[in-house]
Amino acid sequence: MNQTRYRQLLLPVSLLVFLVPFHIMNGQTTLNPDISILPRFLAQTNDAEPGNDGSQKFSQVDFSFDELEIVAGSYLNPYARADVVVAISGPDLENPELSLEEAYATIMRGLPLDLNIKFGKYRIEFGKLNTVHPHAWSFVTQPLSQQRFLGEEGLNDLAVSLSVLLPTGDIYSRLNVDILRGSSFGGTIGIEDTTDANPAYGASSRLMGFFTTGDNSDLEVGISGLTGIHDPYNSRRFWYLNGDLKFKYRPSTYTSLLLQGEFLYNMRNASQDQDFNQFGVVKSVNSYGFFVFLDYQFLKSYSIGMRYDMSGTPYSSTDRLHAGSVYLGFYPVEETLAFRLQYQHTRSPEPGESQGVNFFGLQAMFSLGPHKAHPF
Amino acid sequence: MRTLVLCLMMMLVSAGSRGTVRIVTTLEDLGDFARKIGGDRVTVDYIVRGDQNPHFIEIKPSYMMKLRSADIFLMIGMELELWAPQIIDGSRNPKLDVVDLSKNIVKLDVPASIDASQGDVHRFGNPHYWLDPRNVSVMVEEIVVSLAKASPADEEYFRSNALAFVHELEKKIAEWEALMKPFAGRRIITFHRSWTYFTSWLGIEVAGYVEPKPGIQPTPGHTAALIDLAKKGGIKAIVVEPFYDGTAAERIAESTGARVVRLASSVGGNSQATDYISMMDYDIATLSEALR
Repeated sequence: MNQTRYRQLLLPVSLLVFLVPFHIMNGQTTLNPDISILPRFLAQTNDAEPGNDGSQKFSQVDFSFDELEIVAGSYLNPYARADVVVAISGPDLENPELSLEEAYATIMRGLPLDLNIKFGKYRIEFGKLNTVHPHAWSFVTQPLSQQRFLGEEGLNDLAVSLSVLLPTGDIYSRLNVDILRGSSFGGTIGIEDTTDANPAYGASSRLMGFFTTGDNSDLEVGISGLTGIHDPYNSRRFWYLNGDLKFKYRPSTYTSLLLQGEFLYNMRNASQDQDFNQFGVVKSVNSYGFFVFLDYQFLKSYSIGMRYDMSGTPYSSTDRLHAGSVYLGFYPVEETLAFRLQYQHTRSPEPGESQGVNFFGLQAMFSLGPHKAHPF
Repeated sequence: MRTLVLCLMMMLVSAGSRGTVRIVTTLEDLGDFARKIGGDRVTVDYIVRGDQNPHFIEIKPSYMMKLRSADIFLMIGMELELWAPQIIDGSRNPKLDVVDLSKNIVKLDVPASIDASQGDVHRFGNPHYWLDPRNVSVMVEEIVVSLAKASPADEEYFRSNALAFVHELEKKIAEWEALMKPFAGRRIITFHRSWTYFTSWLGIEVAGYVEPKPGIQPTPGHTAALIDLAKKGGIKAIVVEPFYDGTAAERIAESTGARVVRLASSVGGNSQATDYISMMDYDIATLSEALR
């Protein structure tokens, strides 16, 4: 491991050395933040690479370190709280990647109209799933539409957010508006900006409503929009529209049925050369993607589910992937340990042929530290 | 036109002078106390139904809406409601008076030190103190103080209602104690440590718990040990809350001849437990019947 990596790991290790023992010894949280450590490991195999004879064969099972999240959060003062998530990512244990996943403060009290203001780096409330960390997903793999349109880390950027509750009587409805630095638009969403130009800021917004549909069931629906510059060389803008829905029926402490999904629509003008090497020609791209999953908790420690994904890409409406998944979750002792097994079949319909890839993944994770209650 | 303006003014004045204090409670039990004390000068709503496990509540925006328009939020405290801070923050109600009713309770099972190897242990002690009815008068006093702060003009009304309720409860406590006196010293098994205050009040000994550690699911080995314990100790009752899975308790009962007794640990825990007194009536009658 080189010196730079050692230096990169110094911050989270220092956090552990100083904060965790002090936190435990004192047995109090009034001044120290709540700290949780959540490592995830993954054993996986797939048949994406053809064998020597051209036939599809499963690769050797690869057991690897996926990611470790160090989560710290607490009230800063009577008006605000702060949350920090540092991630150390695998699979290379010798040279793990260190990243500041989130670091933000939320001012919750003392503002007019009961506004909440959030600033820092965080997962933007664009749709419902984007704000949920991977350790809290019911499944192992990221939905294709999220991966292709938002990136593997989701929409996570330096931003300032304004949130207001709308006067809709007994119905909870909230409007969030975020101004983003646009750093996350390079790569999957757009072209990497290597110019020295000023940052091209983006904007995101989500309007959501929460409805109690029965004694044991609730529904949340939301609509989001995102815009920003995807091509900094030609100042080209993209627009995303996203609809999300989450319905949960929980008839008893140990059983629940969850139906959740999102639909994303992309609009942008792009240079043809990104796909066809026809420099200077501009094409209009309208593409979309969606995922929907059903999750059934049938015992205190077990859940099963299935997911269907379909997704184009930000630059192509014809390059579509379809995927179907089934998965099983096992949570033996509260949520301190979690195991998730997923099978996913992904199809890429090329013109004249259709290729399928099969994936098996077993995720194992544990959670050290206090557990916050789950948001709906 | 003048009549219309007068009518509107009268409506506004009457609405303003109604002075209803809006209370939200975590448990239905606290809602019952608040109703008894506040009478027609309060509105009461609650978060956790009696048939739900109060330790694990999903953070729903609808709960935030309940608190958004509330004046007072009554809690058990002692970290029973670990989910409450997120609901309070989400309500964005800067005027909300959050009242922890455990302040003056004599606490049991306070650990000297805790870590996760002990299960879900509460660091400030066992929070199920409302199941000892002698603690209710302490909680009632806290509620009266918070209500009087919200509506000082009604303090006398609240105090008078509280006194009447406490008197009624004292009579019932004497009745319940007389009913359970023959069973003092008897041993039972309970699922969770919810009944520590209840059994301590009645002089009943808890010989074991279906959960190996608080919040930890029963294991076959632990269940076998409890079967042995129940056979040797002459255990007649295994007390289980309405929301817990009764499979392990049933297995112990089948092997030993003991009875699984589903007691209501909160108002609304079953159809008979419509308020605190009827809940205790039901629990005492059911347990005494099982121990007979």
